[in-house]
Amino acid sequence: MRVLIMGCGRVGAGLATQLADEGHQVTVIDIDAFAFQRLLPEFSGTRLIGSGTDDRTLLEAGIREADCFVAVATGDNRNILASQKAKEMYGVKQVVTRVKDPLRSELFGRLGLRTFSPTKVGVELAHDAVFGVGA
Amino acid sequence: MYIIVVGGGNVGYGLALELQQMPDHEVTIVELGGRRAGQLHAELGEMVVHGDGSEIAFLERVGAGRADLVIACTADDGANLVASQVAKHWFHVKRTIARVNDPRNEALFLRLGVDSIVSAAGAVLAQIEATLPEHTIIPLMALEGSGLHIVDMRVHERSPAAGHALRDLEFPPQVLVSVIIGAGGARVPDGDTVLQPGDEVIAVIPSDSDAVVRAMIASPSEGA
Repeated sequence: MRVLIMGCGRVGAGLATQLADEGHQVTVIDIDAFAFQRLLPEFSGTRLIGSGTDDRTLLEAGIREADCFVAVATGDNRNILASQKAKEMYGVKQVVTRVKDPLRSELFGRLGLRTFSPTKVGVELAHDAVFGVGA
Repeated sequence: MYIIVVGGGNVGYGLALELQQMPDHEVTIVELGGRRAGQLHAELGEMVVHGDGSEIAFLERVGAGRADLVIACTADDGANLVASQVAKHWFHVKRTIARVNDPRNEALFLRLGVDSIVSAAGAVLAQIEATLPEHTIIPLMALEGSGLHIVDMRVHERSPAAGHALRDLEFPPQVLVSVIIGAGGARVPDGDTVLQPGDEVIAVIPSDSDAVVRAMIASPSEGA
């Protein structure tokens, strides 16, 4: 599978590493070259400096041939903008979007993105931990 | 009418001043930057609220549920798009207007249901084009939903149309030459009106017909 990942933070880098290890063709986009330090030197995928909301960067990253687009950059709005662009303008079949704000995550899930909210998941995990659930 | 303006930069500020002058409008400006919000609040008072205009919980607090119009005019296209979509799909605001900073985002915004877009780059470009001497067709205004726009151009002395009556010209369908401004001032043309070199022509044309119309009216004919 050809996967484009926007954002090389801990989540982006971790996911990129795992997908590459599983044999997928991975390209990671980040505006900051420093972020690529989170990838091991032997990472087999492509590192691309640029903004995931910028059409030129997306085209250079091969968005037209991508099977999957994952937006895990810092800002919710940037992730949502890039994801909708991937889906609506470039016809990427599978688009996964991190949206920290739970309500925004819910809304854009309803509007057709596959969203997840780490805030919501985190609250649930912490809540369960408080009551010793799953310990 | 209750209007929420998202973004208190130069555009949002200027807009709020305009809207404030109009009676029967209640306006709230939402500004994300704390310092900027403080400055605006000191000048404009309670209409300025410090917060994130793309966050649902915050918009709820400023009464987005009863807003008639949300105008997203920050310098960040992501924020403008999300604010518009949240307004439309969560709060069912009747009308949304978004500023587009990167012209390549225009099609996406319209496709995702923003009612109107304002493209800063497009406006600047049109102004620059208006100062260029010739061969140009200047878009004045898009007529939304119709695929048409209003353009302004000058009849080139060696264009195919110069010296010909309108009825003899074969324009693409839906081209409507609306006003001609010549030596005698502005007039509404009819089929007998002859386009004179140097006349200014204002026309309603399909948005994809710029090149054809320009070639007929505003450019020297090929080989001339």
